[in-house]
Amino acid sequence: MFTRRQFLNENAMGIGAVALAYLLKQDGLLATPKNVPKARPSFDLKPKQPHHEPQATAMISLFQHGGPSHMDLTDPKPELSKAAGKDYKGDIAYSFVNNASKKLLGSFWKFKKHGECGTELSELLPNIGGIADDICLIRSMHTGANGHEVSIRYFHGGIPGVLGRPTIGSWLTYGLGAETQELPAYMVLSDPGGHPVDGVNNWSNGFMPSLFQGTVLRPKAPRILNLDAPPHLRGTLQRQNLDLLQALNRKHLEQHRGESDLEARIASYELAARMQTAAREALDISQETKSTQNMYGLHEDATREYGTRCLIARRLVERGVRFVQLFLAGQPWDNHTNIKGALAGICRRTDRPCAGLVKDLKQRGMLEKTVVHWGGEIGRLPVTQDHGDPKKAGRDHNGQGFSIWLAGGGFKPGMAYGNTDEVGHRAVENVVTPNDYQATLLHLFGLDHQRLVYHHSGQEHIVTNRRSAKIVSGVLSKPPLPATPA
Amino acid sequence: MNHFGRVTCGFGVLAVLFGSSIRAEDQPTSLTYEQHIRPIFRAHCFDCHGATQDFKGKLDLRLVRRMKLGGESGPAVVAGKPDESYLLDRVRSGEMPPGDARLSAEEITTLERWIAAGIPTARPEPESIGPGVGITPEERNFWSFQPVRRPIEPKFSTGERIRTPIDALLRKAMPAGLSFSPDADRTTLIKRLYLDLIGLPPTPDDVQKWNADTGADWFDRLVDQLLASEHYGERWARHWLDVAGYADSEGYTVKDNPRPWAWKYRDYVIRSLNADKPFDRFLTEQLAGDEIMPPRKGDLTERQIELLAATGFLRMAADGTGSGADNAVARNQVMTDTIRIVSTSLLGLSVGCAQCHDHRYDPIPHTDYYAMRAIFEPALDWKKWQQPNQRRVSLYTEADKKRAAELEAEAQKQAAEKAGKQKIYMAEALEKELEKYKDPLREQLKTAYTTPDAKRSNEQKALLKKHPSVNISPGVLYQYLPKRAEELKAYDKRIGEIRAKKPTEEFLRVLQEPAGHAPETRLFHRGDHEQPQEVVLPAGLSVVGVDGQPRQFKPNDGSLKTTGRRLAFSKWLTSGQNPLFQRVIVNRMWMHHFGRGIVGTPSDFGVLGMRPTHPEVLDWLADEFMKNGWSLKKLHKLIVSSTAWRQSSVSDAAKSAIDPENRFYWRKPVIRLEAETIRDRMLATAGKLDRTLFGAPVAVKEDDTGQVIVDGGQTRRSLYVAVRRTQPVAMMQAFDAPVMEVNCESRPTSTVATQSLMLLNGAFTLDHARGLADRCVKESRITANSDHAKLLAGFPKRSQGPWRYGYGHFNAKSGNVEFTPFARWSGSRWQGGETVPDPMLGYVFLTSTGGHPDVPERAAIRRWIAPHAGMLSIDGSLGHGSENGNGVRGTIVSSRSGKSGEWTAHHKSVNTNASGLKVQTGDVIDFICDCNGNHTSDSFTWTVELTLKTDGTVDQVSKSSTEFAGPLASPDKLLGQVERAWELAFCRRPSSDEYELAIDFLVRQIQYLGKHPNQLPKGTQPELQALTSLCQTLISSNEFLYVD
Repeated sequence: MFTRRQFLNENAMGIGAVALAYLLKQDGLLATPKNVPKARPSFDLKPKQPHHEPQATAMISLFQHGGPSHMDLTDPKPELSKAAGKDYKGDIAYSFVNNASKKLLGSFWKFKKHGECGTELSELLPNIGGIADDICLIRSMHTGANGHEVSIRYFHGGIPGVLGRPTIGSWLTYGLGAETQELPAYMVLSDPGGHPVDGVNNWSNGFMPSLFQGTVLRPKAPRILNLDAPPHLRGTLQRQNLDLLQALNRKHLEQHRGESDLEARIASYELAARMQTAAREALDISQETKSTQNMYGLHEDATREYGTRCLIARRLVERGVRFVQLFLAGQPWDNHTNIKGALAGICRRTDRPCAGLVKDLKQRGMLEKTVVHWGGEIGRLPVTQDHGDPKKAGRDHNGQGFSIWLAGGGFKPGMAYGNTDEVGHRAVENVVTPNDYQATLLHLFGLDHQRLVYHHSGQEHIVTNRRSAKIVSGVLSKPPLPATPA
Repeated sequence: MNHFGRVTCGFGVLAVLFGSSIRAEDQPTSLTYEQHIRPIFRAHCFDCHGATQDFKGKLDLRLVRRMKLGGESGPAVVAGKPDESYLLDRVRSGEMPPGDARLSAEEITTLERWIAAGIPTARPEPESIGPGVGITPEERNFWSFQPVRRPIEPKFSTGERIRTPIDALLRKAMPAGLSFSPDADRTTLIKRLYLDLIGLPPTPDDVQKWNADTGADWFDRLVDQLLASEHYGERWARHWLDVAGYADSEGYTVKDNPRPWAWKYRDYVIRSLNADKPFDRFLTEQLAGDEIMPPRKGDLTERQIELLAATGFLRMAADGTGSGADNAVARNQVMTDTIRIVSTSLLGLSVGCAQCHDHRYDPIPHTDYYAMRAIFEPALDWKKWQQPNQRRVSLYTEADKKRAAELEAEAQKQAAEKAGKQKIYMAEALEKELEKYKDPLREQLKTAYTTPDAKRSNEQKALLKKHPSVNISPGVLYQYLPKRAEELKAYDKRIGEIRAKKPTEEFLRVLQEPAGHAPETRLFHRGDHEQPQEVVLPAGLSVVGVDGQPRQFKPNDGSLKTTGRRLAFSKWLTSGQNPLFQRVIVNRMWMHHFGRGIVGTPSDFGVLGMRPTHPEVLDWLADEFMKNGWSLKKLHKLIVSSTAWRQSSVSDAAKSAIDPENRFYWRKPVIRLEAETIRDRMLATAGKLDRTLFGAPVAVKEDDTGQVIVDGGQTRRSLYVAVRRTQPVAMMQAFDAPVMEVNCESRPTSTVATQSLMLLNGAFTLDHARGLADRCVKESRITANSDHAKLLAGFPKRSQGPWRYGYGHFNAKSGNVEFTPFARWSGSRWQGGETVPDPMLGYVFLTSTGGHPDVPERAAIRRWIAPHAGMLSIDGSLGHGSENGNGVRGTIVSSRSGKSGEWTAHHKSVNTNASGLKVQTGDVIDFICDCNGNHTSDSFTWTVELTLKTDGTVDQVSKSSTEFAGPLASPDKLLGQVERAWELAFCRRPSSDEYELAIDFLVRQIQYLGKHPNQLPKGTQPELQALTSLCQTLISSNEFLYVD
């Protein structure tokens, strides 16, 4: 039996009457009368027991909106270069029909093998090349749809194009809670340039309570809203106010012993106070050494902003945050025109920070339990998007085949998985869908995607919405045991 | 794009809510197919082996004898022999059902036991059955599908305080050891009634008045008064708008376009509730207002407007068809969402599952869903779709149109006049400009200019280019003839003014079924609109139909211009034949009064929903509601008059040991206020609430930090704040206000740290804490008496500082200064009376940096008193801004050495320095600013810095502007302010303990701030800041956020 005080300490993020009653019932203190209401659900962010032994405990997702051009970055296509200028023979779906062309466009960039694994990567990603032995590159992603939103929602929410569903961060925090109660469990690091395409839907809690929504860390101070008191209330003054508040609340509680909601609110004020200190500390990157900062590119203008966010992401995960996601404003990888200049620019901005993050996690021994994800919602077409002038050439959307990479948390390092066809149009070998990716990810977190159920409106929901989804054992360091029948 | 939209149904794993609890609690001794096995098959197997005539493997699981017979693989079950039963074999091995879903271990055990028991049935199986899964008596026997039965009221002795049948029925259900708690004290009841019935707190006067009321029927009268308040409708409209899915934006696309006229529906709901419109009529209007509307002749009548506004209910679903997503998927999604809103709000069932297949848990066949869709299809025809803009009905009257046309004609007249004049002036300007040129060039230019552009020769074009000043256009006329241009501009202004007089055109966003339009509704295979199958006719749910037959509605009611389907549906809902509707409504009302429903899942009365805790109370209320003519106000009164509602919420150790969750209502549940009520209560408490009713929503915006807030500090009730689906107001969302995806069936109550941060540091709380503090200062009534002496003993004594503020003049003859201190502090300046000018004292006042003198006898005087002896020097600057008048005169006078300087300033500033003034402790230095003999335009600035030196070392610098301050707060007044804070925030007076707590807090905070003046916001004194902190604490406390 817990004492009430212990109970509060462990339930700071939010408890309800039900949880308390449940505990009492467990102890046989409460005979269940016939015809009792089934509990109104109550939610919190306490750490939860996964379904099986987890390999990953935290995740940093570096989402690359717009559709990184895989044949120019991660998926070398010599056949495409050879056939450049010739017409593509197969069927092709265009988003920009007015610029549609069948002329194959070879990559402007050279590829070379990296690391012991020899994974071939483009010269645009020299730093990611440096961590080739740590990453698991999937070259056979497939959403089947070329549109941005359709595929973005597929990645986040499990169903192509459908809004109003919880995102993967919501599912992870719903299923596992968080190791810390002093920081939000699910955090989003937004770009100073604004929201990514599809806006706040990228971190929506959908039909789950707002507890499981991504907390947006602002691109500039104050990074967390309402975290700091206005200057005139800081320090002793706020402590005095809190003491009075808690004295009043405790007097009120004396009249209402056993109302766990009132107790929870008392606890949540204490937590809020602790959060002020904890969050400020977590966001203070001046505590990092120069060499660590440089690893993320903080010493250079082009990489400083994104690098800072990558570094903050590591500090958050280090302090027990479950899921951190970084976004770029708009969709910088959507290179319809002038791919030559634009793609080089966005690579320059992100290549070092992304690689720095993986290296830093590794040197701290955190990579083992932390998944790093890099990827967009789609890739790009092998044919040119024709604007009349070859200098302006770009590539249109392609959800048929593209690449993402993962590192850490049980993903097999130093490998490339799956393949697209010889020009990079369609995933043809070991095809992976966002639903497969979700099932695999949850598996590494110790969760069975079929059993991670959320009840809403009299229906049972799971992340993949019972769409076909498989755990991709080929990308795992430790393949799962064959499923045992129930 | 996925064709199934948001439809998502659970397969496989039985809900924790359902499976485990039923099975764990009562493993039945005798199993039957109908009661125990069929629900498992319904959830997992019937899709392939029952729902359609195309049985997979020729196996039909709907009848036990067909199971025994089996399919292509032989018999599926062998009575008494689980291990020889193929079905069990397939299920155990995980091969069935196909895909990822599995039966739970409990379900498999149940199957084993049933087979071992010899596959018993509850009754002989029918000779034949029709197609489909069908509905069994067991399924029909589910509690919510049973007719409403009014229970007999149990009798109790008077000592039990049974005030209503509700109490009798609740009391009867209580186990031994439980009974109702004593009634709450009157102050608590008053507060509870206000917050529950109108969602606003009582004022201290209300509390006092009702506490002093000696009539035995005070409670009844207060309930009646509150139910008659126009704020009642606002409060209860919010509850209904949740289930209706009200939003002021369209949603569906990322743009989330505004939905400009939705608020007309919101206002309709408020008005209907305030009028206590019988709920059956309220419902009929919303479902079929257009069908019952008398035909339109000319202008819309009030009644027609009301009925059309009501149909806004069926236009609440998110809708992308006007925002670039006008396609089959989006249209069908609107229909799906509309059906979901209707079914969850009115039937308490999520029929959505039956969109793709027979419902897996509830007896709702696939066809029932489409029968329901057929009710709405004539008005919401996805093949003949009306985009949002086409659904608008203008409220313009004939008179409005006529008036508008008249005004337009007037405007046109002005425009014509202007055009005429413009032509003349242009010619005039040209002539004038051409005078600068000599012929023949002049003539050439003129010809070139007057030739229409298209006909100009290249030479002419070149000519005009060379002399651009000739190329006069109306836009540059002002450069040539400025006066003429002004004259033309005046026309534009006039035209604008005339047009502005046109009556504003408002609209309703309605659902209106076209006359004679009855498209057929087809069942969609797997919910996919691209796979239509058989035609389905409109009908109610089968399970509550008569004799297993759904209640069919006439596909076309000949007596109406429309099909009459929605009207028939609403009649069926409210006829009493359908037991769901009235139960669903009274359950919601109960939920709002008690914080939880009798059925805990107010929109799911099905198998996966919760069971009623007090089915007899539910049925009695449902029956009474109908008997009382569907009057909501009578229902409210009935509920709040019960002992169950009036009892105290205070806990009791003995009863708590028996029923810690208070399931049996032995005390009143403590309820967290809804988001809107928290915001409204803060506004009301700070005295800022704008109580205006109705109208267009108050805009929201993102503040500098990206947080969505109410725009422009508007203080209307939260109900009127724009509901944007993608931009929920941060403070309201934090406290669980719904983000309108579809609709909100019941709100969760979360307790999270972000709420605490918002209350501790958020601008809204801080602003309203300060508002409350200001109000306490103004409204404080009592002053301390001897009883309080002990409390105030620890109050820090602060010295008043060296400065005093007043008015008077320098008497040059006597060398004396006549000085009268100002009596009034405005918060930022010292002045003579409540307002400036004061009837007696005129314009004289002082601010931190300057002020204003009145007539020569009433100069503004800033006085400094020397704290100790020394040598004083003064640096200062006297400024006067106005060109008018003759300026002001500044004089510095020392009480020891007389006048030490005099300066005048008129439309300039002068330095007012003095040095070498010897002072002794208590000497007075006056800074006198008078009107310089002429009392006009005398606003001045005068800041001085005084440096006091002893033995050549600076030991004190006094600055007139930064040390400027109001009166020292008196501890006597603080006591009254504390009391007022309690009255306003908590609707009661503080106890003596609380006085002590508050005073102790204030003492400590004032002491701290006295030592750290740099922590004070500018212009705030420690006393006010400490009081603000106290107020913030009160409005963030549990007593404020919960109603007990």
